[in-house]
Amino acid sequence: MQNTLTTAMPVASGRAHGAALPRRGGGLKRRRELILIWVFLLPSLVVFFLYRILPLLWNVMLSFQDFSLFGKTGWIGIEHYREMLGDEVFWTSLWNTLLYIASAPVGIVLALAIALMVNSEVRGRNVYRTIVFLSYPLMTVAVGIIWRWMYDEKVGLFNYVLRTLGIIDTPLPFLQSFEWALPSILLANVWQILGFYMIILLAGLQNIPQNLYEAASIDGASATQQLFRITLPLLRPSIFLAFVIGVMTSFTSFDLVYVMTQGGPAHSSELLVTYIYKNAFELSRVDYAAAITVVQFLLLVALTWAGNRISGGEAGAVKTE
Amino acid sequence: MTSTWLRLITHRFVLIPLCIGLTAAAWNGYVSLHDGGLVRGVVLGPGGAPVAGAKVSMMEKNFTTNSDRGSTRTRADGSFEFTNNRSHNILLRAEMDGVGRSDQITLRLYFRSQNVTLDAPLTIKPGAPKNG
Amino acid sequence: MTANAHRPRRATARRKHHWSLHAGLLAVSFFMLVPFYWVLKTSLTGENIFVYPPKLLLNDPHPFYYVDVWYLIPFARYLANSAIVSVLAIVANVVFNAMAAYALTKHFRGRGLIITLLLSCMMIPFQTTIVPAYLITGKLGLLNSYLGMALPTFSTIVCIFVYKASFDAVPKSLIDAARIDGLSELQVIMKIMIPLSASAVATNVILSFIWSWNNFMWPLIIVRDPDMQTLPLGLSRFLTYHENTTGALYAFCVMVLLPGILLFLMAQREFIQGLTSGATKG
Repeated sequence: MQNTLTTAMPVASGRAHGAALPRRGGGLKRRRELILIWVFLLPSLVVFFLYRILPLLWNVMLSFQDFSLFGKTGWIGIEHYREMLGDEVFWTSLWNTLLYIASAPVGIVLALAIALMVNSEVRGRNVYRTIVFLSYPLMTVAVGIIWRWMYDEKVGLFNYVLRTLGIIDTPLPFLQSFEWALPSILLANVWQILGFYMIILLAGLQNIPQNLYEAASIDGASATQQLFRITLPLLRPSIFLAFVIGVMTSFTSFDLVYVMTQGGPAHSSELLVTYIYKNAFELSRVDYAAAITVVQFLLLVALTWAGNRISGGEAGAVKTE
Repeated sequence: MTSTWLRLITHRFVLIPLCIGLTAAAWNGYVSLHDGGLVRGVVLGPGGAPVAGAKVSMMEKNFTTNSDRGSTRTRADGSFEFTNNRSHNILLRAEMDGVGRSDQITLRLYFRSQNVTLDAPLTIKPGAPKNG
Repeated sequence: MTANAHRPRRATARRKHHWSLHAGLLAVSFFMLVPFYWVLKTSLTGENIFVYPPKLLLNDPHPFYYVDVWYLIPFARYLANSAIVSVLAIVANVVFNAMAAYALTKHFRGRGLIITLLLSCMMIPFQTTIVPAYLITGKLGLLNSYLGMALPTFSTIVCIFVYKASFDAVPKSLIDAARIDGLSELQVIMKIMIPLSASAVATNVILSFIWSWNNFMWPLIIVRDPDMQTLPLGLSRFLTYHENTTGALYAFCVMVLLPGILLFLMAQREFIQGLTSGATKG
């Protein structure tokens, strides 16, 4: 595209200025164009610099400091990291976050089943797709309140159903118990994100050429064989993408935990992100929170890199045309 | 030319907000026509006969408190009328010295100061009243 | 979109297959819709807040909890705040993202670097930036302000790439013809690129609206004034003050969810397209 422009420009200016040097006209236009390009890029770059890159670097800096908003800020080396090693709440949050990540495959498998069902020629597939995806664009705070209500000990829906079915005798305080607080939140999270997984997997499914299935049918392959030999391998990029999103969710699921349990009875549902928030904005320990954030980010990078490796190193590239 | 305008108007991104806006405007119009703050009703005695001169008190209810909003007396035929209701959720109770008190009725309205006439009369009961 | 070819053989097997598919999808739909039904029921009847066992059907619905929410909570205030922040975010998003995408369609030194930079920024979730973002916003003097709430969401990388794909798809001949006609860069953008990318603009508007409307953590961090609270904050504050034993909370929930649901149903196609094409680029 560029070549035609830069060759068109000198011709035009040459025509306008008679015997003017084409290169000079091209150079001026090119410089103007470059200025335009960078001016156009500037606002977005400023936003990303201020709110993505700079915070990342500043976090690292803060984690080695003893930060004070009004007094002097001093360097204290790896004190915060040492404190983290001995901080039981930190290890609980880390463990809970890992459990959160481990629940992603469950959601992805479910979403895969749903995507396969929706992708077939069943009538009303668009309605089903809408219903499943409906939960994703909702305000997570409202979703948290709804699920918190369904988990209520006295009049919640879950207790009612379980007691009616005879599975339990006395009501189960889901969100107030040590064992059930985090799984309850996980279920609510799966409910909300199932639609997003499904959409990604559907897009991947629809990119698989039909003639592969036709050829396999002619060769006598059963549906199960087609599933495992054709569908799943070709879906690997989409599955990897869904997994990355699941990992990100476990690092960002602040709203649900805040509304449903506030970190749970005795930190049993505390995630890294909620612990960071509490340290920074409730305990005013901005520097310690920054240190935890650094650890969290490193974990995120490590997991994404590992996932990329496992899925064959394509980094989730999917044809979208 | 009109066909482009028509296509623009019937596009879902325009049509749906437009319908919502029109509904909201219509509702607001209805509300402004009916928000005189009138509350009317009838007070009957234990025997079923209308009670004149009974005191009807009105309270305004929000999430945590009930505030007193004044009272009025019934006329000869047992009817009463408040003209300054500013709330959407009020409590009414009738009482007559020497006879008794009625139950406290909760009246929930569709909008603030909605003009309303009670369907059922406030019946004064002798003896201990029940809060409703 | 690949189309499945219909084959007339094995009709009975296909019919059995259909029933089991429908059954499975109905079960899934049930699971997805039950929370909606439950909250709607509680907001309309309120009878299962204190009474056990709760009845499963709507008895005696009434809209009075909604009336309570409208008058007793500064709902209009929250709504206005959310709307202002969202409008700021949407306008900035559309303008900045389109500008950046247009710049990226041209070839210049450093283009590859910028693209790599943007792709790697996608890996930095907002939640890992909250502490310095708060300090930066404080230094800018934007704490507790509409601009401060909207600023981090002024540009999104996903949408930049959506625009870029759309701009790249504009035929070169069209642009060349416009240049020979003497149109300036700005005119090329306004008269050719943007009109041909209407769906990308729609996607950007919808995605940025949903993200800024639902944003809870950032306003929670920087808003101190109750007057400046947005809908999610108002909802959370109501829960804290009144606990969850009042029907008005659920009416509040439903009122808060309605714009999101309505927008989604209205603009499903753009929403899904934006998420898939943007997400699959990174």
